[in-house]
Amino acid sequence: MTHELKFKSPSFSERLKGMLGVDFYRLFHTPMFYIFLVIAAIIPALVSMPSQDGTTAALYSNVWQIIAASKPLYVIESIADYANMNMVFIFGGIMVSVFIGHDYKSGYVKQLFTTHAKKQDYMMSKSIVCAFAMACMCVTYLIGGTASGMLAGYSLEVNAGSLILAILGKMVMSLGWASLYTFLNVIFRRYFGVSIGSSFFFGTGILIIGVAAIVENLALPTSFLNIFLYGSSVNACLTSSFGTLISCIAVSAVWAVIYNVAGSIILSKSDVY
Amino acid sequence: MNAVEIRELSKNFGSKQAVSGLNMTVPMGAVYGFIGENGSGKSTTEKMICGLIPKSGGSVKLYGKDHTDADVRAKVGVLIEAPGCFPNLTVWDNMMLQAANLNIKNAEQEVVKVLKTVRMEGAAGNKYKNCSLGMKQRVGIAMALLGDPVLLVLDEPLNGLDADGMRIMREVFTDIVKDGKRSIIVSSHLLGELQKVATHYGIIRHGQMIVEMTAEELDASCRTYIALQTKDMSKTKAILGYKYSRVEEDEAGYLRVYDMTMPEDVVAYLYQNGIAVTEVMTDKIGLEEYYIDLMKGGK
Repeated sequence: MTHELKFKSPSFSERLKGMLGVDFYRLFHTPMFYIFLVIAAIIPALVSMPSQDGTTAALYSNVWQIIAASKPLYVIESIADYANMNMVFIFGGIMVSVFIGHDYKSGYVKQLFTTHAKKQDYMMSKSIVCAFAMACMCVTYLIGGTASGMLAGYSLEVNAGSLILAILGKMVMSLGWASLYTFLNVIFRRYFGVSIGSSFFFGTGILIIGVAAIVENLALPTSFLNIFLYGSSVNACLTSSFGTLISCIAVSAVWAVIYNVAGSIILSKSDVY
Repeated sequence: MNAVEIRELSKNFGSKQAVSGLNMTVPMGAVYGFIGENGSGKSTTEKMICGLIPKSGGSVKLYGKDHTDADVRAKVGVLIEAPGCFPNLTVWDNMMLQAANLNIKNAEQEVVKVLKTVRMEGAAGNKYKNCSLGMKQRVGIAMALLGDPVLLVLDEPLNGLDADGMRIMREVFTDIVKDGKRSIIVSSHLLGELQKVATHYGIIRHGQMIVEMTAEELDASCRTYIALQTKDMSKTKAILGYKYSRVEEDEAGYLRVYDMTMPEDVVAYLYQNGIAVTEVMTDKIGLEEYYIDLMKGGK
C-alpha cells in the first residue's frame, strides 16, 4: 500500500473550460435562454409596430432606427431615441440575475466553489456566457426589429458599414454589461429581488442619462460619457465608424476587467454559501 | 502526511464565534466521524475545509497543501447540507453538469458508473425535483463521487436513506478508503450507523474539538455494563440502588448496572433479596451513549 498522491494543478484554461462547460450546458438545457431570445425578438415589434390610430408610426422613419439611434443621443427626447437594441441590455440584466440566482437558490454554487478554488473562474465564466447570451439576444432583436420595421413599411435606406459597426459595437458591449450584472449579482447574491432590481436600474442607463442632462445644460461636451457602458452603447449608432467599434471594444473590455476583479475580491473575502 | 490537518481554526460571524481554536487531524484512509450537537460548528468547519466560507484564523491543510490550492481542491467531493442540484433538470443533466465542472473525459461513462454505485441508474431521467429525499441524497453522494475525489466531505449524508440506502453507503465508504489514500469526513446524527463505518472520530462542542480518537480507542473507552431483567423491575431497581452507584433502565426494558462488578455478584445479591433474575448479560456502551455521556460532562 502506497501513501503517495500526486495532485495536478489545473491550468487556467482547464479551470475556465470546466466552468464554461457548466454554464454553457445550463444555458442550452434550460428554457430561460430561449424565452429571452424570443422576448428580444418581440420587443422591437412591440415598440415599432404602428398602433391602429397610427401614433406609434411617427416614432421611426427608418427600419434601422429600431436597431440603433441615428446619432449618439445620451438624453432622451422621445421613446424612439431610447427604444433600440440597447433594450437588450435591460432584459439581459434580468436574464443574468435569473441565471446566477439559480446557482445560489439551488445550492449548485457549492459544487462550483468547492472544486474551483479561484473565484475569478466563476466571475469570468458567468461574464462570458451571459455576454454570449446577450449577443444572441442582439441577433434575435435584429431579426425581430428588421422584420417588424419592414412590415411597418419604414425606409430601408442606410449606410450599411455604419449599421454593421453599430450592431457589432452593441454586441461587443454585451461583455461589459454581463460583467456588471455578474458583479451586481455577486454583491446581492442573497437577495434575489434586489439583484434583479439593481440590474434593471443600471441597465436602463438612468444614471448616465441624468449626468448627460446636467452636462448638456451646462453646454459641456458629452463625448466623455462614452467611457461608461451606457454611453458607449449609445455611441454605437447609425453614424458609427471603425473608431466607434474600437472604442466599444476597449470600454467593454476595461469594465469587464474591473467588474471581474472586484467580484473576485468580494467572493474571496466573503461567505459564498 | 494526513488527509486533513487543521490547526487553531476559527470563524467569527460578527461577534459570534462559531469555531474557536479547533484542531482536527484526519489520517489518510480514514472514515472520520465528525460528531456534535446542532450548532456546534460542524457544518461551519466543513464549509471552511471546502473553501465555501473564509476562515477567520488558523490553518487548513489538505494532503499537506493549503486548502486554497486549486490542485487539491479539484479533488474534493462534497455534500453539504443538501445536494446542490437544479430542480428542473433531470438527475442525468445535473450529473453531466458536475462532470463538465470537473472537466471529466468520458463524462457519460463516469456518470453512469457513479449512478450505478448509488443504485440510481434507473432514475437518471427523473427530474431532480420529483425525486424522494432518499433519492436526492443518493444523487448528492453520486455528485460528490464524480471525478475520483481524494477527500469526501459529507454533511449528514445518511439523512433520508432507507435501510438499503444506508447499507449501500457503508459499502461505498469502505470501498473508497480501501486503498489507504482517500479519506472521508462524515458528519451525522445517526451515531449507530456512523459507528459501523467510522475508523476515527472527532467530537466538537461549542466550536472546539473536545476529543479525537480512533475506533479502537473508542471501543476501549466505552464502559461495560451488566444488563438484567426480572419480573419486578421497579423493586429490582430500588434494591440495586442500595448497593450500586449507577443503575439505569434502558430503552429495551433492561436494568443496567454500570459499576465495576461481576454479573454473578449482582445475581447473588438480588437472590439474597428475594428477586429472581430472568435474564442477564454484559455489554459495552456504543458511540451514542459514549457521546451522550461526554456531552453530560463525564465519560
